[in-house]
Amino acid sequence: MLARAHTFTIDGLQTRHVTVEVDIRPGLPAFAIVGLADAAVREARVRVKAAVLNSGYEFPARRITANLAPGDIPKAGPGLDLALACALLAASGQLPRERLESHALFGELALGGEVRACHGTLAVAQATQDAGLTTLVLAGAHAREAKLVEDIDVAIAERLSSAVRVLRGGPGDSLSAHAPGTAVARAPGPDLSEVRGQHHAVRALVIAAAGGHNSLLSGPPGTGKTMLAQRIASILPPLSRPEAIEVTRIHSITGEFAGGLASVRPFRAPHHSITMAGLVGGARAGWVGEVVLAHNGVLFLDELSEFARPALEALRQPLEGGRVAVVRAQHSAVYPARFMLVAATNPCPCGYAGDGDRCRCTESDMARHRRRLSGPLLDRVDLVTHLERDAAHDLREAPLTSSRKARERVTDARERQAARLKDDGVSVNAHMDVRMLLGHASPDLHGEALLRRARESGLLSARGQQRVLRVARTIADLNGSERVRARHVGAALALRPESGAEGSRAA
Amino acid sequence: MTPGRRPAESARACVSCSRRSWLLAELSGPLDYQCRDRGRLLDLLELSDGDLLRAVAGRRRQELSSACARFDVRDVSPAQGVEAVCRHDPSYPPALNDPGGPRMLNVAGGLDRLRALTDTPTVAIIGSRRATDYGMEMAKSLARGLAASGVTVAGGLSDGIAVAALAGALEVDGRTITVVHGGLDVACPVGRRSLYRRVGQSGCALSELPCGCGPRRWTHAGGERIIARLAELTVVVEALDSPGELAGARIAQALGRTVAAVPGRVTSRASGGTHALLMNGAHLVRGPVDALELLYGPQAPAAAGLATAQDELEPRLRDVLDRVGAGDDTPGKLTRAGEDAGGALLALSELELLGLLARGDGGRYVPRHSAA
Repeated sequence: MLARAHTFTIDGLQTRHVTVEVDIRPGLPAFAIVGLADAAVREARVRVKAAVLNSGYEFPARRITANLAPGDIPKAGPGLDLALACALLAASGQLPRERLESHALFGELALGGEVRACHGTLAVAQATQDAGLTTLVLAGAHAREAKLVEDIDVAIAERLSSAVRVLRGGPGDSLSAHAPGTAVARAPGPDLSEVRGQHHAVRALVIAAAGGHNSLLSGPPGTGKTMLAQRIASILPPLSRPEAIEVTRIHSITGEFAGGLASVRPFRAPHHSITMAGLVGGARAGWVGEVVLAHNGVLFLDELSEFARPALEALRQPLEGGRVAVVRAQHSAVYPARFMLVAATNPCPCGYAGDGDRCRCTESDMARHRRRLSGPLLDRVDLVTHLERDAAHDLREAPLTSSRKARERVTDARERQAARLKDDGVSVNAHMDVRMLLGHASPDLHGEALLRRARESGLLSARGQQRVLRVARTIADLNGSERVRARHVGAALALRPESGAEGSRAA
Repeated sequence: MTPGRRPAESARACVSCSRRSWLLAELSGPLDYQCRDRGRLLDLLELSDGDLLRAVAGRRRQELSSACARFDVRDVSPAQGVEAVCRHDPSYPPALNDPGGPRMLNVAGGLDRLRALTDTPTVAIIGSRRATDYGMEMAKSLARGLAASGVTVAGGLSDGIAVAALAGALEVDGRTITVVHGGLDVACPVGRRSLYRRVGQSGCALSELPCGCGPRRWTHAGGERIIARLAELTVVVEALDSPGELAGARIAQALGRTVAAVPGRVTSRASGGTHALLMNGAHLVRGPVDALELLYGPQAPAAAGLATAQDELEPRLRDVLDRVGAGDDTPGKLTRAGEDAGGALLALSELELLGLLARGDGGRYVPRHSAA
């Protein structure tokens, strides 16, 4: 007798439809699984047998062959257990086969017959919808996650016997009150109102957030670079629904689902010892890197000069294209990775350059430090903020702004950008190309004169000019100005990163 | 001082002077050892070949003496584009022709050009190897103003101040001379190569050592004595109060040349050396005008090419420029009292574009000219 059940396996961020075929023939008792199964799937034999027996069903003492189709894609993880068990019960005549055709089953089995939830439920629910199946049967723990997909029915099966009941046409289990996902809005992190002083840096941060500009914070130790960077997520506008689904899907697969749709933009701050594989992914099949986890959010690299060069070089592709292709010997995958890069660094190896007499670095130390920073990565940074050790500011003075107020301004500016750029396929100023800059960011006469003078005096390269224009456009948006004016260009010029040509102070 | 044999029609350096240059390169090791005492090193460099061998050659004395006797000028054949000239040649710069000066020079850039450069008044701009952004900007603006007035700017390639000065002079296509601390083909520090090339295109690079001789500690001291001799006026822009950083100024003082210094903040260690010089009677230089006055006396020609824009600034820019000069040199400090942030940034950018401010370390802005 042959029976089929539908389930899904997760490969990176992709889901793949898997049909579990179980065939039972007379012969010596055996249970074989074929179809590129990994260790976790092969172990399913043991789990399924125990779960079937402990749920009070019969485990046929005949020759059982299970095939996971299609046979050419590797299957991973324990999520196939439930489908395997149900197909086996159907093949042995203990379960009618009809509903298996329209139901997807996803879950790991415990030896006692309970169904356990697996990572990636949201992705599986979306795939269920795409595959044209009507119902997804899964453990209660992740039911809320699956219910984010509106067009499918979600049936909860806390035990194998409940799944059998559902497949016989009965009701599923009810959702336990303890299941995670009761709209837990994650706190948006620390607030900008905790920052005292550093008004210049706070303003620059708001500009960066408003335009999605990659930015660099530079300053001596203890001036609050990390403190400021950690507050960026709190001033970014909330995720739109499609963005939120993308983010939640990634969280779901990596097991970081916090319940409900993600509402706060991700903020990832990997330690500087991270490897290239850790940053972009691909350490093993299906392993996603920090850039993917930062998708639609912020990637913060503290102590930029301490990062390994290959790791930083690997950031070029995601910074340019908003996605990262990981190609390894066994697998390859393309992941979404559109994030805002925020980096922090000391101005020199000792950290005190420009801070009176404290800097003990020689000129060659400075040159080496600059060399470590410069290059392809800094080429993609739109604005640089220097934080200063400001002894004069008072810790009791009023903060410049709060996260809520800043977020409102940022959201306003982003709406203006989105309206202007709606036909161009991008949503923030940071992603404007030359053509869009010509159309949307041409400055007024005085501003144009400033730019021309900067170009002629060699302070600005062609690429540098584009960066200045992008930032100027954002500043204009923040100030509610339709036109880019001289003061916006002037401020953008003051925030521009040093171009490579003038890297050396002397020559 | 009798003219020696001339090895060939075209060469402008006699055999004995070429041999001297070769010998110094051979004795680099022992001289480096002696370099711990700069005064003694300078004394040694005045000795004749025989005395020098006796003084420092040690165990290699016999070997080097016989090598000296067999010396062939082809052993020190200069590299492409390098000409040799010795003190017995009429085109040798007279300023260098004293017993403590070099016996011969390898010149990149041509002897005629060297003649033209040394015939005009020359100012050496020297200072610290660990200069601050303030020192760099001061050196640059000083050199720019002097070079625009037709003065030759001289400096080494190892200290940051001199490098900034050479770069400043080249900005206005001025005359420059640099002294390389070793062979002209090998001794330029890697990070200075592009500057060195630009100096070679319009100015001259000099060395008393044969091509192929690497830079050593003693060659720095040796180079300082050449720069001090080339210049009528030596300006120390920024230097620590240490014998090493002030060595060039001390040599110039010993030669009786005018020594001047640019003051800094008295709280800054980086300007300790220049303040010490000023205390001991060096002239005070605030900018090109003061330096020109020291060169030409009260009838000095007006410094050409100086930013006259400074006088006709809009009041708001003038105000920001003054505040930056007075120490409010970051956007944060400028807007501390709640001024309009956008306006302050605009003013800073405009002043930078006008060439009145430059970016310093750590986001600070540095005035490019002294306040008039």
